[in-house]
Amino acid sequence: MTNETTPIGSIHVAPRAIATIAYQAALRSYGVVGMASKNVVDGIAHLLTKDPTHGAEVSYTGQYINIDMYIIIEYGTRIKSVASSVANTVRFHVEKSLGVPINEINVHVQGLRISEFES
Amino acid sequence: MTTPPQPQETPGFVEKLRQEPIDGLAFKNLAFAALTWLRTNHEMVNALNVFPVPDGDTGTNMVLTMQSAYNEIKNSPERSIEKIANALAQGALMGARGNSGVILSQLWRGVARALDGKDVLDGETFAKAFAVARDTAYKGVVRPVEGTILTVAKDIASATEKALAITQDPYEILEIAVEEASASVERTPELLDVLKDAGVVDSGGKGFFFLLDGMLRFSKGMPLDTAVASVKSLSALNFDNAMETVEEGQDYEVVVDFRPHEPLILEQFYSDLEKMGTSIQIGEGEGMYRMHIHVPTEKRYEPIDYTMSIGTITKVHIENLLAQMEDIEKSSKAQPIKLTPVEPGQIAVITVAPGPGIANVFASLGAAAIVEGGQTMNPSTQEILQTFENLPTDRIIILPNNKNIFMAAKAASEVTVKQAAVIPSRTVPQGLSALLRLIPNGDFDAVVADMESALGDVETGEITIATRTVEIDGVNVNEGEIIVLHNGKLILSTDNLTTACLAFLEKAAADDFELITLFYGADIQKAEVNQIADQIRETYADLEVEIQNGGQPHYQFIISIE
Repeated sequence: MTNETTPIGSIHVAPRAIATIAYQAALRSYGVVGMASKNVVDGIAHLLTKDPTHGAEVSYTGQYINIDMYIIIEYGTRIKSVASSVANTVRFHVEKSLGVPINEINVHVQGLRISEFES
Repeated sequence: MTTPPQPQETPGFVEKLRQEPIDGLAFKNLAFAALTWLRTNHEMVNALNVFPVPDGDTGTNMVLTMQSAYNEIKNSPERSIEKIANALAQGALMGARGNSGVILSQLWRGVARALDGKDVLDGETFAKAFAVARDTAYKGVVRPVEGTILTVAKDIASATEKALAITQDPYEILEIAVEEASASVERTPELLDVLKDAGVVDSGGKGFFFLLDGMLRFSKGMPLDTAVASVKSLSALNFDNAMETVEEGQDYEVVVDFRPHEPLILEQFYSDLEKMGTSIQIGEGEGMYRMHIHVPTEKRYEPIDYTMSIGTITKVHIENLLAQMEDIEKSSKAQPIKLTPVEPGQIAVITVAPGPGIANVFASLGAAAIVEGGQTMNPSTQEILQTFENLPTDRIIILPNNKNIFMAAKAASEVTVKQAAVIPSRTVPQGLSALLRLIPNGDFDAVVADMESALGDVETGEITIATRTVEIDGVNVNEGEIIVLHNGKLILSTDNLTTACLAFLEKAAADDFELITLFYGADIQKAEVNQIADQIRETYADLEVEIQNGGQPHYQFIISIE
């Protein structure tokens, strides 16, 4: 579905492009304090490249788009609510930009950040 | 009792409240006021929602979150504000729903943190609570979106911090917080384009405003159960309902159609109208407004003059309600509800209904005649007989809907020369369930059999107050306690209506059904009904919950599960 053919040529949207939108949307979502790496190799790669899609993974199965989000949540918020809110926000923003429906969004909570502070 | 005092009922309430320091108990009352006021106005908050996805129903989500927070403290006798605030924050966290709910729970968490080690909430602590709430809320997101509840929290924090220079009184700080919240909410469209494009303010911010405003209204002794300015679409306006609420001295109904010169500031408009009369309704469609109000005789031209000062009037309608009321009373005695007419040869259903609301439901489902009656007012054989003797058909089915009326109904069916059968419905929900199977032109015996078989399709709950101390079915009941009957059998006694409803639903295995209908009685306030319904919706998220005004006496609720 990310290959659209028009009379004057065709449009391809790369998974990385979609991942960037998802990444931006996730960071604006309340309760998300960061994105996480899926594994060590990704983590090291991120340190070296400052990848703008860090923690957002997009894959196509046939014509379906699947997104996996790896996030870090603020300690003390209700994880379930934040996670479903991330899924909703990402879906909304990606579908709005892309104009095609997303098949599946999986949210993986990779960690919590504790930001207790002196008051 | 868990319901805090109602301010308007106690003389000297406000003075007393304001003199005493805000400890845990006082704070609990403020939290209840906040919840109540938000619940009253949550439809309005829902209507502001522009983000189609991230937060479906902001108002509902915030109410549920706040309800969960309040549940943690409602039975607590704790006087320490530290403990109350912590319990509130804990409850908000556990029940956080949607984006706005999560932010709200973070705000409460900040408040709780600011109150650590405190006994009372003074002005300085109040301002600090807002500041810590703001900091905590902002910590929860990498890229805060401005023009949302976050911005409102930020604005309140700076306003109250500044206000400390002028006053130390916590209620004055609260007043400043509410003023700033209101102003800040109005500014949200300037910060967030989606709001501006849709012509609305931020819903989460508005919800937060209602929470604080509820506290302030409580401290001023203002009522919390009438929504502020709710604007409906023109087609949704229904002035017939307003007739039921005509108050003493409000003799004229005035309806004005107008087009305002400048965008209408609803709250201002509404509060100006409130000074003139009652039963205010405002409708809007394509820039045209319709305003409805009941006013005393001497003020009947005031709403018109007032409206003329802010817009161009296109149509005015004035009616003397006293005359109209007399007409309604006359006609209502003759024909209270719209019954289903029967044609010769058809099967007519006669049903017994304990309240006007339930009678209406029966009528709308096809009852040909209705006898008033219930637990303590059993109709006689004669009364039942009279209702169907004059019907133009010979085929009669009677639904007694109460086991005490069963005998009288049976007797009526034997006395009459018509072909009559009694379906042994013992409760209202059973009666409704049976009535749904009616086929007016069907075979009599088949219809009777079918209606009888429908009795088992529905579970009935009846919730009422025990009139004496007794032990039945192994349940000990004290006079004045709330008791729950499941299909006519006593299952529980308690002192809490919500517990009663939930206990019944659990006992009846409501999970296996699809629809819960609550018929609420004449002795219970709509606000309380809504609160209980919300709790049920929360517990049984997969089921549909309907609320019907049953109007029955004695029974707070008749509940049907199908």
